[in-house]
Amino acid sequence: ENSPAPLPERAIYGFALFLGSWFGFMLYLIWAYIPETWLFSLGLTYWPQKYWAVALPVYLLVAIGIGYILLFGINMMSTAPLNSTHTITDNYAKKQQPKKFQEEAIPALRDVPISEVNRMFFLPEK
Amino acid sequence: MDERRYRSASGEPIALRRRQHSASCRELVVRCPRLQLRSLSAVTSAVWLAAYGLFALSENSMVLSAAIFITLIGLIVYLHFVKVDQESLLVIGSLGIQVTSSYASGKESTTFIEMGQVKDVVINEAIHMQKVIYYLCILLQDPGDPQGISEVVPLFQSSKPRLDCLIEVYKSCQEILAQRRTAPQVE
Repeated sequence: ENSPAPLPERAIYGFALFLGSWFGFMLYLIWAYIPETWLFSLGLTYWPQKYWAVALPVYLLVAIGIGYILLFGINMMSTAPLNSTHTITDNYAKKQQPKKFQEEAIPALRDVPISEVNRMFFLPEK
Repeated sequence: MDERRYRSASGEPIALRRRQHSASCRELVVRCPRLQLRSLSAVTSAVWLAAYGLFALSENSMVLSAAIFITLIGLIVYLHFVKVDQESLLVIGSLGIQVTSSYASGKESTTFIEMGQVKDVVINEAIHMQKVIYYLCILLQDPGDPQGISEVVPLFQSSKPRLDCLIEVYKSCQEILAQRRTAPQVE
Protein backbone atom coordinates (compact mmCIF):
# COMPACT_ATOMS: atom_id res chain seq x y z
CA GLU A 1 0.00 0.00 0.00
CA ASN A 2 2.72 2.49 0.94
CA SER A 3 5.44 1.66 -1.52
CA PRO A 4 7.81 4.33 -2.85
CA ALA A 5 7.25 3.13 -6.44
CA PRO A 6 6.47 5.72 -9.12
CA LEU A 7 2.72 6.11 -9.76
CA PRO A 8 0.86 8.25 -12.30
CA GLU A 9 -0.56 10.45 -9.52
CA ARG A 10 2.91 11.07 -8.15
CA ALA A 11 4.21 12.00 -11.58
CA ILE A 12 1.38 14.54 -11.96
CA TYR A 13 2.02 16.01 -8.49
CA GLY A 14 5.70 16.28 -9.27
CA PHE A 15 5.13 18.01 -12.59
CA ALA A 16 2.60 20.42 -11.06
CA LEU A 17 5.10 21.31 -8.31
CA PHE A 18 7.83 21.76 -10.92
CA LEU A 19 5.70 24.15 -13.00
CA GLY A 20 4.49 25.96 -9.89
CA SER A 21 8.02 26.52 -8.57
CA TRP A 22 9.25 27.80 -11.94
CA PHE A 23 6.28 30.15 -12.13
CA GLY A 24 6.92 31.38 -8.60
CA PHE A 25 10.59 31.98 -9.37
CA MET A 26 9.78 33.92 -12.57
CA LEU A 27 7.23 36.00 -10.66
CA TYR A 28 9.84 36.77 -7.99
CA LEU A 29 12.39 37.85 -10.64
CA ILE A 30 9.84 40.06 -12.40
CA TRP A 31 8.84 41.69 -9.12
CA ALA A 32 12.45 42.24 -8.07
CA TYR A 33 13.96 43.53 -11.31
CA ILE A 34 11.32 45.28 -13.44
CA PRO A 35 11.04 48.98 -12.50
CA GLU A 36 7.88 50.06 -10.73
CA THR A 37 6.84 52.49 -13.48
CA TRP A 38 6.67 49.71 -16.08
CA LEU A 39 4.50 47.61 -13.73
CA PHE A 40 2.22 50.59 -13.06
CA SER A 41 1.80 51.19 -16.79
CA LEU A 42 0.64 47.58 -17.13
CA GLY A 43 -1.95 48.21 -14.40
CA LEU A 44 -0.27 46.07 -11.69
CA THR A 45 -0.09 48.53 -8.80
CA TYR A 46 -0.80 46.58 -5.62
CA TRP A 47 2.50 44.73 -5.08
CA PRO A 48 4.69 44.68 -1.94
CA GLN A 49 7.66 47.02 -1.65
CA LYS A 50 10.78 45.92 -3.49
CA TYR A 51 12.62 46.18 -0.19
CA TRP A 52 11.21 42.76 0.66
CA ALA A 53 12.73 41.18 -2.47
CA VAL A 54 16.09 41.53 -0.74
CA ALA A 55 14.99 41.34 2.88
CA LEU A 56 13.11 38.02 2.76
CA PRO A 57 16.00 35.92 1.38
CA VAL A 58 18.34 37.48 3.92
CA TYR A 59 15.92 36.70 6.76
CA LEU A 60 15.59 33.13 5.51
CA LEU A 61 19.32 32.49 5.27
CA VAL A 62 20.06 34.00 8.69
CA ALA A 63 17.23 31.93 10.18
CA ILE A 64 18.71 28.74 8.69
CA GLY A 65 22.15 29.61 10.03
CA ILE A 66 20.80 30.36 13.49
CA GLY A 67 18.75 27.17 13.30
CA TYR A 68 21.90 25.05 13.11
CA ILE A 69 23.37 26.75 16.18
CA LEU A 70 20.02 26.65 18.00
CA LEU A 71 19.59 22.92 17.41
CA PHE A 72 23.09 22.26 18.70
CA GLY A 73 22.38 24.38 21.77
CA ILE A 74 19.04 22.71 22.47
CA ASN A 75 20.73 19.33 22.28
CA MET A 76 23.37 20.39 24.75
CA MET A 77 20.80 21.84 27.12
CA SER A 78 18.63 18.73 27.18
CA THR A 79 21.56 16.40 27.92
CA ALA A 80 21.20 15.24 31.50
CA PRO A 81 23.90 16.72 33.79
CA LEU A 82 26.34 14.37 35.47
CA ASN A 83 24.61 14.62 38.84
CA SER A 84 21.09 13.70 37.72
CA THR A 85 19.44 10.34 38.36
CA HIS A 86 18.36 10.24 34.71
CA THR A 87 21.81 8.91 33.83
CA ILE A 88 21.14 5.85 35.99
CA THR A 89 17.47 4.99 35.86
CA ASP A 90 14.05 6.14 34.65
CA ASN A 91 10.35 5.62 35.36
CA TYR A 92 10.06 2.39 33.41
CA ALA A 93 13.01 0.82 35.19
CA LYS A 94 11.67 1.83 38.60
CA LYS A 95 8.26 0.31 37.95
CA GLN A 96 9.38 -2.96 36.36
CA GLN A 97 7.98 -6.17 37.86
CA PRO A 98 10.38 -8.95 38.84
CA LYS A 99 9.93 -11.86 36.44
CA LYS A 100 9.91 -15.56 37.34
CA PHE A 101 12.97 -17.60 36.55
CA GLN A 102 12.18 -20.52 34.23
CA GLU A 103 14.44 -23.53 33.77
CA GLU A 104 16.31 -23.74 30.44
CA ALA A 105 14.68 -20.60 29.10
CA ILE A 106 16.44 -17.38 28.14
CA PRO A 107 16.01 -15.01 31.11
CA ALA A 108 13.43 -12.30 30.54
CA LEU A 109 14.64 -8.86 29.53
CA ARG A 110 14.99 -6.45 32.44
CA ASP A 111 16.89 -3.34 33.46
CA VAL A 112 19.85 -4.42 35.57
CA PRO A 113 20.69 -2.07 38.48
CA ILE A 114 23.91 -0.16 38.07
CA SER A 115 25.52 -1.59 41.21
CA GLU A 116 25.13 -5.09 39.81
CA VAL A 117 26.53 -4.07 36.42
CA ASN A 118 29.55 -2.48 38.08
CA ARG A 119 30.24 -5.53 40.20
CA MET A 120 30.11 -7.74 37.14
CA PHE A 121 32.38 -5.53 35.03
CA PHE A 122 34.97 -4.24 37.45
CA LEU A 123 35.28 -6.52 40.44
CA PRO A 124 36.31 -9.97 39.17
CA GLU A 125 40.09 -10.50 39.21
CA LYS A 126 41.88 -12.00 36.18
CA MET B 1 50.75 3.76 50.42
CA ASP B 2 51.58 3.96 46.73
CA GLU B 3 51.40 6.46 43.95
CA ARG B 4 50.67 5.71 40.31
CA ARG B 5 50.46 7.81 37.19
CA TYR B 6 47.40 7.83 34.96
CA ARG B 7 45.83 10.09 32.35
CA SER B 8 42.78 12.26 32.62
CA ALA B 9 39.92 12.19 30.11
CA SER B 10 41.53 15.07 28.19
CA GLY B 11 44.99 13.49 28.14
CA GLU B 12 46.77 15.32 30.97
CA PRO B 13 48.91 13.32 33.40
CA ILE B 14 47.39 12.81 36.83
CA ALA B 15 48.61 10.83 39.82
CA LEU B 16 46.61 8.62 42.18
CA ARG B 17 47.87 8.08 45.72
CA ARG B 18 46.29 5.42 47.90
CA ARG B 19 46.76 5.35 51.64
CA GLN B 20 45.36 2.75 53.98
CA HIS B 21 44.93 4.29 57.41
CA SER B 22 43.35 1.20 58.97
CA ALA B 23 41.36 -1.88 58.01
CA SER B 24 38.23 0.15 57.45
CA CYS B 25 39.65 3.53 56.42
CA ARG B 26 41.19 4.42 53.09
CA GLU B 27 42.19 7.67 51.48
CA LEU B 28 42.46 8.11 47.72
CA VAL B 29 44.01 11.32 46.42
CA VAL B 30 44.08 12.35 42.76
CA ARG B 31 46.57 15.08 41.97
CA CYS B 32 46.00 17.24 38.86
CA PRO B 33 48.85 18.76 36.83
CA ARG B 34 50.06 22.14 38.09
CA LEU B 35 49.50 25.38 36.20
CA GLN B 36 52.06 25.39 33.39
CA LEU B 37 54.31 28.42 33.02
CA ARG B 38 54.07 28.29 29.24
CA SER B 39 50.27 28.42 29.16
CA LEU B 40 50.26 31.25 31.70
CA SER B 41 52.77 33.23 29.60
CA ALA B 42 50.83 32.50 26.43
CA VAL B 43 47.54 33.80 27.85
CA THR B 44 49.20 36.86 29.40
CA SER B 45 51.02 37.72 26.15
CA ALA B 46 47.83 37.28 24.14
CA VAL B 47 45.83 39.58 26.43
CA TRP B 48 48.58 42.20 26.49
CA LEU B 49 49.09 42.07 22.71
CA ALA B 50 45.36 42.55 22.20
CA ALA B 51 45.41 45.47 24.64
CA TYR B 52 48.38 47.01 22.86
CA GLY B 53 46.53 46.63 19.55
CA LEU B 54 43.50 48.38 21.04
CA PHE B 55 45.78 51.11 22.41
CA ALA B 56 47.36 51.60 18.99
CA LEU B 57 43.87 52.00 17.49
CA SER B 58 42.31 54.18 20.16
CA GLU B 59 45.32 56.11 21.62
CA ASN B 60 43.79 55.68 25.08
CA SER B 61 46.34 54.60 27.68
CA MET B 62 43.61 53.38 30.05
CA VAL B 63 43.39 50.27 27.86
CA LEU B 64 46.88 49.20 28.92
CA SER B 65 46.30 49.64 32.65
CA ALA B 66 42.91 47.92 32.31
CA ALA B 67 44.62 44.96 30.63
CA ILE B 68 47.14 44.62 33.46
CA PHE B 69 44.34 44.84 36.01
CA ILE B 70 42.23 42.26 34.18
CA THR B 71 45.17 39.85 33.92
CA LEU B 72 45.92 40.07 37.64
CA ILE B 73 42.30 39.76 38.78
CA GLY B 74 41.68 36.97 36.26
CA LEU B 75 44.67 35.00 37.49
CA ILE B 76 43.64 35.34 41.13
CA VAL B 77 40.03 34.33 40.39
CA TYR B 78 41.22 31.38 38.30
CA LEU B 79 43.58 30.08 40.98
CA HIS B 80 41.03 30.47 43.74
CA PHE B 81 37.84 29.24 42.10
CA VAL B 82 38.72 27.16 39.06
CA LYS B 83 42.13 25.48 39.22
CA VAL B 84 41.91 22.36 41.34
CA ASP B 85 45.20 21.06 42.71
CA GLN B 86 44.03 17.74 44.13
CA GLU B 87 40.82 15.92 44.90
CA SER B 88 40.65 13.35 47.64
CA LEU B 89 38.21 10.72 48.77
CA LEU B 90 38.34 9.47 52.37
CA VAL B 91 36.24 6.37 53.02
CA ILE B 92 35.73 5.46 56.68
CA GLY B 93 33.95 2.14 57.06
CA SER B 94 31.18 2.74 59.53
CA LEU B 95 31.23 6.53 59.54
CA GLY B 96 30.94 7.98 56.05
CA ILE B 97 32.70 9.34 53.01
CA GLN B 98 34.49 12.68 52.86
CA VAL B 99 35.24 14.40 49.56
CA THR B 100 37.78 17.25 49.52
CA SER B 101 38.84 19.55 46.69
CA SER B 102 41.98 21.66 47.16
CA TYR B 103 42.36 24.63 44.87
CA ALA B 104 45.62 26.12 43.64
CA SER B 105 45.28 29.12 45.94
CA GLY B 106 45.13 26.86 48.99
CA LYS B 107 41.36 26.88 49.45
CA GLU B 108 39.85 23.55 50.43
CA SER B 109 36.22 22.63 50.03
CA THR B 110 34.95 19.55 51.85
CA THR B 111 31.76 17.53 51.74
CA PHE B 112 30.90 14.73 54.16
CA ILE B 113 28.26 12.09 53.48
CA GLU B 114 27.38 9.75 56.33
CA MET B 115 27.34 6.04 55.68
CA GLY B 116 23.61 5.68 56.31
CA GLN B 117 22.89 7.80 53.26
CA VAL B 118 25.35 6.04 50.96
CA LYS B 119 23.79 3.34 48.81
CA ASP B 120 26.80 2.53 46.66
CA VAL B 121 29.84 3.95 44.88
CA VAL B 122 29.69 3.14 41.16
CA ILE B 123 31.36 4.00 37.87
CA ASN B 124 28.76 5.57 35.61
CA GLU B 125 29.04 6.65 31.98
CA ALA B 126 27.36 9.78 30.71
CA ILE B 127 27.50 12.29 27.89
CA HIS B 128 29.57 15.34 28.80
CA MET B 129 30.43 18.06 26.26
CA GLN B 130 30.22 15.94 23.09
CA LYS B 131 32.08 13.06 24.73
CA VAL B 132 31.03 9.97 26.66
CA ILE B 133 33.08 9.79 29.87
CA TYR B 134 33.33 7.40 32.77
CA TYR B 135 33.07 9.00 36.16
CA LEU B 136 32.87 7.77 39.70
CA CYS B 137 29.81 8.73 41.69
CA ILE B 138 28.22 8.11 45.07
CA LEU B 139 24.59 6.98 44.96
CA LEU B 140 22.57 8.30 47.89
CA GLN B 141 19.79 6.23 49.40
CA ASP B 142 16.20 7.31 49.04
CA PRO B 143 14.77 7.26 52.60
CA GLY B 144 11.35 6.09 51.45
CA ASP B 145 12.35 3.42 48.97
CA PRO B 146 15.13 0.91 49.79
CA GLN B 147 15.84 0.28 46.10
CA GLY B 148 15.55 3.88 45.02
CA ILE B 149 18.28 6.42 44.44
CA SER B 150 17.61 9.93 45.64
CA GLU B 151 20.74 11.69 44.42
CA VAL B 152 23.92 11.15 42.46
CA VAL B 153 27.12 12.85 43.66
CA PRO B 154 29.82 12.85 40.96
CA LEU B 155 33.42 12.65 42.20
CA PHE B 156 36.74 13.84 40.73
CA GLN B 157 35.00 16.39 38.52
CA SER B 158 38.08 18.46 37.74
CA SER B 159 40.65 15.76 37.26
CA LYS B 160 38.31 13.38 35.36
CA PRO B 161 40.44 10.24 35.55
CA ARG B 162 40.13 7.59 32.88
CA LEU B 163 38.67 4.13 33.39
CA ASP B 164 41.88 2.42 34.58
CA CYS B 165 42.31 4.86 37.46
CA LEU B 166 38.58 4.74 38.24
CA ILE B 167 38.65 0.95 38.48
CA GLU B 168 41.41 1.15 41.13
CA VAL B 169 39.43 3.66 43.16
CA TYR B 170 36.25 1.63 42.71
CA LYS B 171 37.87 -1.57 43.97
CA SER B 172 39.30 0.18 47.01
CA CYS B 173 35.93 1.70 47.88
CA GLN B 174 34.06 -1.57 47.36
CA GLU B 175 36.39 -3.39 49.76
CA ILE B 176 35.40 -0.98 52.51
CA LEU B 177 31.71 -0.86 51.59
CA ALA B 178 31.51 -4.66 51.48
CA GLN B 179 32.46 -4.74 55.16
CA ARG B 180 29.29 -3.01 56.23
CA ARG B 181 27.21 -5.77 54.71
CA THR B 182 29.12 -8.56 56.42
CA ALA B 183 29.48 -6.75 59.75
CA PRO B 184 26.02 -5.34 60.53
CA GLN B 185 25.79 -2.10 62.47
CA VAL B 186 26.46 -2.36 66.17
CA GLU B 187 23.90 -0.22 68.06
